[in-house]
Amino acid sequence: MDLSAKWKELKVSWQPRIKEWKFMLKRIRESPLALIGIAIIIGFVIIACLAPVLAPPQAGWDPFMLRPDKDLAILTPDPTPPTTRHIFGTTAEKFDIYYGCIWGTINAFRVGLIVVAIALVIGVVLGTVAAYYGGLIDEILMRFTDIIIALPGLVLAMALVIAFPTAIPLNITLIILVVSAVLSIYFAAFKPQRKYLLPNQIILLISLFLYLTNPIVIGLNMSKLDKVLISLAIVGWPGYARLIRGEVLRVKNEDYVEAAKASGCSDLRIIIKHILPNTVYPLLIVVTLDIGSIVLTAAALSFLGIGADPNFADWGNIISMSRTWISSPELLVRHYYTFLIPGIFISLFVLGWNLLGDALRDILDPMIRRR
Amino acid sequence: MTSLPAYIARRLILLIFVLLGVSLLIFAITTLIPIEIRAMLYVRNVQHTSPQQLIEIAKKRGLDRPIHEQFFAWLSEVLQGNLGFSKFSQQPVADAILERWPYTFEIVLFAAPLIIFIGIFLGVQAAIHKDGLIDHACRVLSIIGWSLPSFWLGLLLLSVFSGYLHWVSPGPLDTNLLQFRNNPSSGFIRYTKIDLFDGLLNGRPDITLNVIQHAILPVIVIVTINVALLIRVMRSSMLEALNKPYTVAARAKGLDDKTVIYKHARRNALIPVVTLSGMLVAGLLGGLVITETVFGFGGLGQWAANAALQLDVPAVLGYALLSAFLFVIANLIVDILYAYIDPRIRLV
Repeated sequence: MDLSAKWKELKVSWQPRIKEWKFMLKRIRESPLALIGIAIIIGFVIIACLAPVLAPPQAGWDPFMLRPDKDLAILTPDPTPPTTRHIFGTTAEKFDIYYGCIWGTINAFRVGLIVVAIALVIGVVLGTVAAYYGGLIDEILMRFTDIIIALPGLVLAMALVIAFPTAIPLNITLIILVVSAVLSIYFAAFKPQRKYLLPNQIILLISLFLYLTNPIVIGLNMSKLDKVLISLAIVGWPGYARLIRGEVLRVKNEDYVEAAKASGCSDLRIIIKHILPNTVYPLLIVVTLDIGSIVLTAAALSFLGIGADPNFADWGNIISMSRTWISSPELLVRHYYTFLIPGIFISLFVLGWNLLGDALRDILDPMIRRR
Repeated sequence: MTSLPAYIARRLILLIFVLLGVSLLIFAITTLIPIEIRAMLYVRNVQHTSPQQLIEIAKKRGLDRPIHEQFFAWLSEVLQGNLGFSKFSQQPVADAILERWPYTFEIVLFAAPLIIFIGIFLGVQAAIHKDGLIDHACRVLSIIGWSLPSFWLGLLLLSVFSGYLHWVSPGPLDTNLLQFRNNPSSGFIRYTKIDLFDGLLNGRPDITLNVIQHAILPVIVIVTINVALLIRVMRSSMLEALNKPYTVAARAKGLDDKTVIYKHARRNALIPVVTLSGMLVAGLLGGLVITETVFGFGGLGQWAANAALQLDVPAVLGYALLSAFLFVIANLIVDILYAYIDPRIRLV
C-alpha cells in the first residue's frame, strides 16, 4: 500500500472523531460561560509563563521560596501595607505578596495537574480492572473505595499529610518482586499471554534473590508539598475508579466489544481501543471540575498550616498568615491586603476551571446535547 | 424483592465492615508516624524527656508491636466503649466529642434546611425558566459561590461584620454570656448542652438570640459554598421530569401549570436531591473544619483539626470513626426514605 492510500484510510477512520471534536468546539464557541472560563485559565497560563518577567527572582535563589525584604525587617513586626515597592504589600514576615501571588500561580497549576494525573491513572487502572474482571477483585476494590469515600476528604488528607514521614525508604527490589509476582499470576491465568511467562519468572527469581541477599533501597525525600500532592491523590482516586467502573460496565456488553472479543483481541487491546475511548467525555468533565476543587483543598491545607513549607510561594500559605488575627478582627481589617488579594487569585483560578467544567457538562452530556 | 427489615439488617452488617475498614485505614496511617512522636502522647512534660526515655515509653505502651496487634488492642478497647484519651484536650475522646458536638449542631441546624430549601427552590425556578434570566443568574451565582475558598469568604465576612461594623464577635457566644453560662453559681443549667435550647429552657432568650447572631456568619459561608450542587442537581432532575410522559399526560389532561410543576414534576424530581441532602447533612455534622476554625466556633471540626495538628492519635481515630458512622447511617436513612417516596424502587 502506498503512502497516499494509507493517509486516505487514516483520514476516513478519523473522520467521525474529527467531526465530533468540531461539533464540540462549535458548542464551546457558542457558550459564553465556557469562553469566560477558558479566558481566565489562559490568563493564568500567561501569568505562569511570564512569572520570571513579572516578578524576577533574585539570582541564585530558588524562585519558589519567598524571602523577606531585609530593609523592612527591622522596622516593625507587622505586615506592610501596599507601597510602590510592594504593590500588594507584604506579610508579617515581610514576604512580598505580589511575588507570592505570581509564583503561586505556577504552584496552583502544578498542584491541580499533578494530583489529577496521579489520581486519574490509579482510578482508571483500578476502575477498569474492577469492572472488566468483576467478581472478587471488583468487590474488594469497590469496598475499599467505599471506605475512603466514607471519610471527609479534608480530614483524610490532613491525617495523611501529618503522618507521612519526610523520607520514605523505597525498596526497589521488593517492588519489582511484587509486580512480577502479580504479572506471572496474570500471565498464567490468560492463555494468549503465556509466552511472557518464562521471561517474567526469570525476573521474579532474580528479584527474589536480590531481595533476600542485598536489596536496593533508595531513600525518597519528600518536601511538604510532595506530601500534600500524594495525600490529595490518595483521597481523589476512588471517585475516578467508580466513574470508570460504571462506564466500563455500561459498554462492556455492547456488540462492538463482543465482536472485538470474538475476533480474538486481547483484553488489554479491548480495554484500551474499544472501552476507554467511550469514557473520555465523562472523565473530561470531572477532571476539569476536580482541578479547581483540588486547588481549593490544597489551599485549605496550607491555610491550616499543614500544606507546603511556610515560605513556599503558595496562595493558601500567604493567607494562612492571617490566621493569627482571627480572634481580634480589628487587626484583620487593618491587614486586609494580606488575605484579600491572594484570595482573589484562588477564587478566580477555581472559577475558571469550574466555569469550563460546568459548560463542558452541558456540551458533552449525550442526554441533552443535540436538543 | 426483599423485605425492609431484612434489607436494614444487611445494611447494618455492611456498616460494621465499613467502620472496621475506616478504622483500620486510619490506624495504618497513624503507624506511619515515628514511635518516638507517638510516645509523646503519654508524657506530661515533653521537654524534660530524653529520646531514649521516649523509646522506652513507646515500648512499654506496645507501640513497637506489629500493627495488627496494636489495632486489635485498640479495637477491643473501642468495643468496650473506650475511645481512648485525648492528650491535647486533656479528656477522654468520647467526652471531647460530646462537648464539641453542640457547637457544630447549632450551625448545621440553621445551615442544612437553608441549603436544602434554597437549593430546591432555585433549582425548580431555574428549570421552569430554562435558558431565561433566572436560570442564568442562578447558574453564574452558584458557580461563583462554589469557587470561593471557605476560609477566605470567612475571613472577609469576619473582617467586615466583626472587625469593621462590630456587629458580632467571633466565637460561639459573647464573652460575658459564656462566662455566665460556665459559672455554676449563676443557676444556668445545661439541660441539653446546646446553648440554643438551654437559653430558652432557662428563661434566658437573650442567650438563644446571641447564639443565632453568632451562627449567622458561619451559616452564610456554608450555604454559599454548598448550595450550588443542590441547585444544579435539582435543576437537571426537574428538567428531566418535565419532559417525562406523565408530565405531558398531566398537561394534556388540562391541568394548570402550577399543579403539573409542583404536584407531578417536582415530587418525582426530588429523589436525587434526597440522596444529595443526606450526604450533605452527614458531611456537615461531621464537622466544618475550616469554617469553625475561622470563626473560632469550637465545634467538632475545629477540635479535629487541632487534634490532627498535635498528632493526637486517639482523637483523630475517634473523629474519623464518628464521621464515617454518620456518613453510612445517612446513606441508610436515605435508602429507606426512597422506598417511602417511591414504591417502585426495589431494595436490592
